[in-house]
Amino acid sequence: MNSLSPKLPLKISWQSMFTLLMFGFMYLPILILAVYSFNSSRFSTTWEGFSFKWYEKLFSDVRIFEALKDSLTVAFSAVGISAVLGTMMAVGLAKFRFPGKGLYRGVSYLPLIIPDIAIAVATLVFFSSLFGFLNPIIQSLNAFLTKMGLLSLPLPTLSIGTVIMAHIVFCLAYIAVVVSTRLTSLDPHLEEAALDLGATPLQAFIKVLLPELIPAILSGCLLAFILSMDDLLISGFTAGSGVNTLPMLIYSRVRTGISPDINALSVVLILASALLALTSEYVRYKGEQRRLNR
Amino acid sequence: MSTSTPSSPPLAESLPASSQGWQKLTRLIEPIALLVPSGVWLLLLLVAPTLLILELSFIPGFRLGQSAGDYGIGNYLEIFQPIYFQVILRSVLFAIGCTVTCMLLGFPVAYWIAVMAPSRWRNLLLVAFVLPLWTSSLLRAYAWITILRPSGSLNSLLSALHLPSQEWLNQTPAVYIGMAYSFLPYMVLILYASLEKLDKRLLEAASDLGATPQQTFWKVTVPQTLPGIAAGGLLVFITSLGEFVVPELLGGASSMTISRLIYNQFLGATRNWGLGSSFSILMITGVSIAIALLLKYGDRDSALSG
Amino acid sequence: MSSNQHHGFDGECDRLPLAHLAPDHLAPHLPLPRFSAARRRFLKTSAAIASGFVLSNCARNLSNVNLGSGDSPSPTSNAGVAKNPASGKLYIYTWANYTDDELIKGFQEKTGIQVVADPFDSNETMMAKMQAGGGTAYSIIYPSDYTVIDMVEAGMLTPLDHSRLQGLDTLRPKWQNPVYDRGNAHSIPAVWGTTGLIYDPQKVGKEIDGWSYIWDNRKSLTRQITLIDDVREVMGATLRTLGYSYNTTSPDQIKKAYSKLVQIKPTIASFLTTGWEDQLASGDVTVSMAYSQDAIKLIEEKPNLKYVVPKTGSSVWTDTMVIPKSAPNPDAAYAWMNYLLQPDIAAGLVQRLRTATANQAAFDLLPPETQKDDRLFPTEAMLSKCEGVAPVPARIAEVYDQYWTRLTSS
Repeated sequence: MNSLSPKLPLKISWQSMFTLLMFGFMYLPILILAVYSFNSSRFSTTWEGFSFKWYEKLFSDVRIFEALKDSLTVAFSAVGISAVLGTMMAVGLAKFRFPGKGLYRGVSYLPLIIPDIAIAVATLVFFSSLFGFLNPIIQSLNAFLTKMGLLSLPLPTLSIGTVIMAHIVFCLAYIAVVVSTRLTSLDPHLEEAALDLGATPLQAFIKVLLPELIPAILSGCLLAFILSMDDLLISGFTAGSGVNTLPMLIYSRVRTGISPDINALSVVLILASALLALTSEYVRYKGEQRRLNR
Repeated sequence: MSTSTPSSPPLAESLPASSQGWQKLTRLIEPIALLVPSGVWLLLLLVAPTLLILELSFIPGFRLGQSAGDYGIGNYLEIFQPIYFQVILRSVLFAIGCTVTCMLLGFPVAYWIAVMAPSRWRNLLLVAFVLPLWTSSLLRAYAWITILRPSGSLNSLLSALHLPSQEWLNQTPAVYIGMAYSFLPYMVLILYASLEKLDKRLLEAASDLGATPQQTFWKVTVPQTLPGIAAGGLLVFITSLGEFVVPELLGGASSMTISRLIYNQFLGATRNWGLGSSFSILMITGVSIAIALLLKYGDRDSALSG
Repeated sequence: MSSNQHHGFDGECDRLPLAHLAPDHLAPHLPLPRFSAARRRFLKTSAAIASGFVLSNCARNLSNVNLGSGDSPSPTSNAGVAKNPASGKLYIYTWANYTDDELIKGFQEKTGIQVVADPFDSNETMMAKMQAGGGTAYSIIYPSDYTVIDMVEAGMLTPLDHSRLQGLDTLRPKWQNPVYDRGNAHSIPAVWGTTGLIYDPQKVGKEIDGWSYIWDNRKSLTRQITLIDDVREVMGATLRTLGYSYNTTSPDQIKKAYSKLVQIKPTIASFLTTGWEDQLASGDVTVSMAYSQDAIKLIEEKPNLKYVVPKTGSSVWTDTMVIPKSAPNPDAAYAWMNYLLQPDIAAGLVQRLRTATANQAAFDLLPPETQKDDRLFPTEAMLSKCEGVAPVPARIAEVYDQYWTRLTSS
């Protein structure tokens, strides 16, 4: 389709100027952060000379690495589980008809439209009331168990597990959406053909459908991963004490007094995500080339 | 809302479920295996929680650690107190303002990338434009503090240019700037997707027939990209309506939004879970209605153009 | 909602206004919702289903059990440690700036217990988090005096075993038997101080002696002050300027204080308990309401600033250390308390963090100029004008909350 469009020479138009301005708008804050991360003054308004000290401080800050670890644990677990569940859901929804299917699909898309704060609050209330219901039962069970001389069960509380459970909900939705998009453009007869040739449904799924879906699943996972790594509200409401994801830590640092190592942290994170973005773009580009060439 | 009937229309399936080689057992097991795990998950961690806050929202003044009172609509009556109404109105205005700003800033950018830029650069330009989305939204909002504060970079620049300094931080302009910045890439992405499909021969035909660029824009480009405009507008509107970080960090003392209010009712100072729940329900309902309206009118538009 | 189209999701994709906007190559960048006929159906049917869904009073469970504060003895208090006693890790929930690396490192060297301190910025936030069940890992919390009373009433605190504590006798007499916690039964005083105003005399052009400066100059102070994000402190300070008590239980007086606060609403840049330091130091704001400890700490870096306890009176507060019933590691909690009760450790904290100690033995170790610093250790004359924040009945607390919500929402 691109080959049809006439080759336009790059003219100086107001649109191009405006776009350039907007590129500046998008990158200006990031540049400012980068500049101040090398400022040796603690207060970000005065320039007192070039220094790496905030980077040194950053890399010796154990809390940041623990938060990063928590964030990655949550993101990888949630995305991993969601990749399986979300793909299964998308395939199931594309293949079968059953009463209530519209409702099922509608519910699965809810996390895409409900504001984060509402999901966060609802999940907190749910866990609180679930634990409020379970704890007396477990306590009386424990009283019985200790009488028998056995180990008592730990009471369920908010923890990193509850964060992962909450993250799966929205990761699932995003992955399912991306996979569904791909499914609609697939040739529905592929799997049929495989079945006709004697493959079992499982074989047909793994050998025929799954390879076609892999790029979409990966895109969905990437999207879910980024959203999970950036989530503040849902983690903040469902995390137990001792669990601090990176956004939670940054928020608390920003709230309780800004220290310039946050500037340094942003620069590191921005570089890391730019690298990730470019890699994924490259992979996508290659994948598309392959698809087009077939 | 309560008088709707469940619809069970014949569904057009892309993959016919019937195929002679299938056994009856697998036919039953497969959908269960595929759909039940995620269904249970959604039921437990999305539907049940939402219904719980629906219930809480009907317990006036419910506070954690106190015994629950009787059911009633007290929370919903409280929402319509002038002070809370002001908060709702402010949130909606922020969202509308942000949507309009993103539209005005985003359309020329998307248009240039999709229509005017050399085609082999388009993908790269688009990726470059949305790259900041990959960074932490908190840090991006935080960066604007550094820029907008009275002694910040913006005012240093303005004073160097001998322009009057601006005090935008801790009030409405900072919220608009921060939110427009956050959501502009989304707007550009959606508008780009729509503009990319624009039939450029129509543009040429219009100008060949003597239409001015303005006429071409309003009579050809805009009608063709209307669905994209609607989609981008709605997406930015509902996302900015629920935005928490930007108003919290940049808005200061006088820009309480629904999200911040809900946050305060649950993990902040005031701890009125009942009221907080009713605000959440209000928000969910509002967003759902916005989407329902768009789908309704969107359908009519696509019917007209098709 | 009245559309009669009943196409499947897949078939209708291209006709819907939004669905075709999500080419899958864009997907990685964007949470693009795909709007579909299915959703329209969902909107129609969900309400009907929701009303049919039986919810057997689930929310009521919330009022039965407060996580981490139940009246029944909590088995976790032992279960957590019993599983792994060697892994001594102590989670502390405290105000920002009450701990530093040196303290935590010193404690770890002495006891082998690793400390993780999470900050909160108001007692109410801390209570909310604890009651919502998000604080079960904490073995030490630093509530303020009046919150200790609330927490004891809510049954959230473990009575302290004084035989496991050394150094209680060196506390100043005033804190041997404090009003908020008789005989220190549940709490140990950690830090005390006042609430006041910090400002730059050069920028203001004169000495400020109290709150009246803000009301008198409210026209020229637009977005020039920050207030502590705490309902009782801000309402209390205003009540004092009106001549009422910090702890009034008269809704009428609270309303008057609210009306007075509304007058200066335009001057408030933001509500910040901490985090105002940078703005004040750079001159973005003129006056900040602050706790003495944070103010004195900043003045060390920026000596041009000045801290003042308003002449109309202010609050004097004691932040304490308590062990919640849900504490997973009470042994480490006692070790932490004992470590901080040591005079040299407490004195070191005063020197480094400017946290006024309630420990006489530690006070005696301080250099004379620190002892005489009346911002850190206010004189009796100053204290006589101050009140401690006291708990108010739940009914009155709601009145405070309502006006606070109004103030912050307007």
